[in-house]
Amino acid sequence: MNSANNSFIYEARDLDYHYPGGIVALKQICFNIKEGELVALVGANGCGKSTLLKLLDGLLFPSSGELLAFGAKLSEKVLETGNLAAEFRRRVGLVFQDPDVQLFSPTVWDEVTFGPLQLGISRDEIVSRANESLELLNITELKERPPYLLSGGEKKKVSLACVLSMRPQVLLLDEPTTGLDPWSQGNLIDFLLQWAGKDKALVFSTQDLDVVEEVATRIIVMGAGHDIVADGRPDHFLSDSDFLLRHNLVHEHSHRHKELVHRHPHLHEHRHEH
Amino acid sequence: MHIPDGYLSPATCGTMYVVTAPFWVIAVKRVRKILNHRTVPALALLAAFTFILMMFNVPLPGGTTGHAVGGTMVAIVLGPWAAVLSVSVVLAIQAILFGDGGLTTLGANCFNMAVVLPMVGYYIYKVISGNSEIDSKRRLVGAAVGSYFGLLAGALLTGLELGIQPLLFHAADGTPLYAPYALNIAIPVMAIGHLAIAGPVEAIVTGLVFLYLQRSHSTLLSRQAVQRSEGKLWLIWSGALVLLAFATPLGLLAAGTAWAEWGAEELQELLGYIPRGLQSMSDIWHAPLPDYTIPGTGDVAGYIISAVIGIIAVGFLLWLLGRWISRKGSVKQGSSTSGVSKA
Amino acid sequence: MREGDFLTRNIAGFTLALEHIVLTEDLSHAAGLLQGLDARVKVLTLPLFIVIVGLARDFPVLIAVFIMALALALLSKVPAAVFLKRLLIFIPIFTAVIAIPALFITPGDPLVTASGRTVITVQGARSAGLLVMRVVDSLSLGLLLIFTTPWNKLLAALRWFHLPSIVIDILGMTYRYIFLLLHTANSMFLSRQSRTVGRFTGAENRRWLGRAVATVMVKSQYLSEEVYLAMLSRGYQGEIYTLSSLALRRRDFIWIAFALAAAAFMIWSIYQ
Repeated sequence: MNSANNSFIYEARDLDYHYPGGIVALKQICFNIKEGELVALVGANGCGKSTLLKLLDGLLFPSSGELLAFGAKLSEKVLETGNLAAEFRRRVGLVFQDPDVQLFSPTVWDEVTFGPLQLGISRDEIVSRANESLELLNITELKERPPYLLSGGEKKKVSLACVLSMRPQVLLLDEPTTGLDPWSQGNLIDFLLQWAGKDKALVFSTQDLDVVEEVATRIIVMGAGHDIVADGRPDHFLSDSDFLLRHNLVHEHSHRHKELVHRHPHLHEHRHEH
Repeated sequence: MHIPDGYLSPATCGTMYVVTAPFWVIAVKRVRKILNHRTVPALALLAAFTFILMMFNVPLPGGTTGHAVGGTMVAIVLGPWAAVLSVSVVLAIQAILFGDGGLTTLGANCFNMAVVLPMVGYYIYKVISGNSEIDSKRRLVGAAVGSYFGLLAGALLTGLELGIQPLLFHAADGTPLYAPYALNIAIPVMAIGHLAIAGPVEAIVTGLVFLYLQRSHSTLLSRQAVQRSEGKLWLIWSGALVLLAFATPLGLLAAGTAWAEWGAEELQELLGYIPRGLQSMSDIWHAPLPDYTIPGTGDVAGYIISAVIGIIAVGFLLWLLGRWISRKGSVKQGSSTSGVSKA
Repeated sequence: MREGDFLTRNIAGFTLALEHIVLTEDLSHAAGLLQGLDARVKVLTLPLFIVIVGLARDFPVLIAVFIMALALALLSKVPAAVFLKRLLIFIPIFTAVIAIPALFITPGDPLVTASGRTVITVQGARSAGLLVMRVVDSLSLGLLLIFTTPWNKLLAALRWFHLPSIVIDILGMTYRYIFLLLHTANSMFLSRQSRTVGRFTGAENRRWLGRAVATVMVKSQYLSEEVYLAMLSRGYQGEIYTLSSLALRRRDFIWIAFALAAAAFMIWSIYQ
């Protein structure tokens, strides 16, 4: 996986994925992701965002088509064991949507050190990285806690910390702001913006268009057909309310003014004129 | 069925740990081979689920309630060795974390509930189900009946372990030092309680879960069809041996000693003289457990203990033989790169 | 069985378990005597006393162990009320039920007679007493261990004693998810309780229970698959490595000395 060969981190060519039972999850997915990009993956529930993120993390493999990461094709064999696999795991980190899945160790400290321990680095280095990640997210006092004694927001932070302690180059996040209160959400957004850099890449799935606006340099919209319906700059699409409605990215609500019924999509930009 | 600390003597506890240990070792190896890297998360969540299952208070018709163990259900879904491991994990956590079941008696509890229960239950399930369809009623009956008898087998063994305590371990004046009830009370009590209450609970819970799986997740049940036939052979042996151990007291009921197992004294009585050759030979080997009794214990207890020890010894030897045979076989088929096999 | 009873009993059971787990977490981080000792030392010495309890043949040793356990509990900031309550909840009632008939049916010398007939024998009374004391002692020692040692430290100690690491890994992860599934199951019961007006038949309860069990099973299945992926994602290749942070200090050696001395004395007095 030699990134000197080309500057693409990911190249997806006609990716299809279906579950063992036959249900289609992804259809003809094509895109490239470069270093420095902050990509928002947007779409209604069930359109395949989580599945795509798992493919990008080499946890699932395409049923047809191919996915290249750092110039090399991702396959089950390549990622089975060995140095290449370990290197990939270090470079790419996925923060799962469900923190109960991400936090499988007895304590927070065990969790945050789990990844670095797999890297074969020195004990001191592991400890310092773990402490660093905890401090970054202001959760140092949670060190000895078992995951079941954490609040939802704390769990989300620990989920992020245990991935960051591996110092990934690519950060994949599955619905990172869902369930967070506005204050924590703002903090997370600030954090992500700070973390990003010209040799890193960020891909996150979300339903929240505000977050897209604040963070993303690029938006990929997935449709009900499990395919990509749009791929480009966020401002191109976020002002097109028809487009948003069509792909279930916003809902329409209506209210009455005496006999008049106003229907409009729920967008925060909208000015209401009577 | 969890035996707390204090009910079994240290000697019994030690023995049961020794008896159970080989099963643990084999279980780890077998499960690892099938599940590989998935072993830890799969077994952990399975054990966690089994823990919850054991906590449910199940209402029976008639007003009584009971708790299930679920070992047979686990064996049906992931195989008997996964059941051995996961139920053992649950029992360990119950003992350490909740004090439910003792630490010294963990070996015995694991043997009863994590080894015998799931294996007997699984064996009976397989026998009754035969080759019937995954969603057939016959399989459902097999699961329920299997779990019932699996639990019963475990219960009877528990009664056995408890019942021999007063016979083997008492003070000079006859005070029982540990579990105070002899076999003539322990076994019937355990039997009745489990025949009437715990058994039906187990069957109901296993049946309900099995039914649900048949309807919604039948792939989980058909996985077992891929099991190697070697597994079946082991089950047949285990099933037969366990049954034998229980049947041995019946031998005592039969008047007189088994034909051709006469010792020198009996022969003399029968024949009026001792064949000279036999007389010289009989002194060479003084069996460690003469007449199948353990000095200082009653007939029945000694008989059964001898039977159990004998069965375990024979079983272990058979297992070794089986391993030796299969290793020879794989060497013939193996290619030059296979080399050392991974545990 | 009345509907109310079915739900109440189950909720009570699950809630008790959840509370117990939280309690052990809290107590094991308190600044008490045993909490300050290395986990390995406790794993070795406390069960040692359970074995001694098993070897004992008469009451003096058993009573001494109980007093010692109670004292250690108090010194380890475990409130007496909490300690005794846990003792009472977990086994002794069951054991008393087992032990009481032994008073009457054990053959031997008369202790209590009524109208000339032996009602309770000496052997029966001793047997019942020994059993109860053994159970109480063993449970006390077990509670001491879990009340003063966090689960992950306990596992680290077992790992040090060379218990197979795959077993340790499974024990750690099982513990972590038991709380979650307990909570899931309990929530189901609670929500059913809040929506119940009137009664259900036993059969309806059983059917609902079947669905509840299946729900927990499905959740554990989902977690099992996803957790595996989460582990892979961070480089899992079959081994979970840990930072060992166990270190013996002077207080550990003092404790070992004390424990061995007490144990030796008890053993001597048993086999005198």
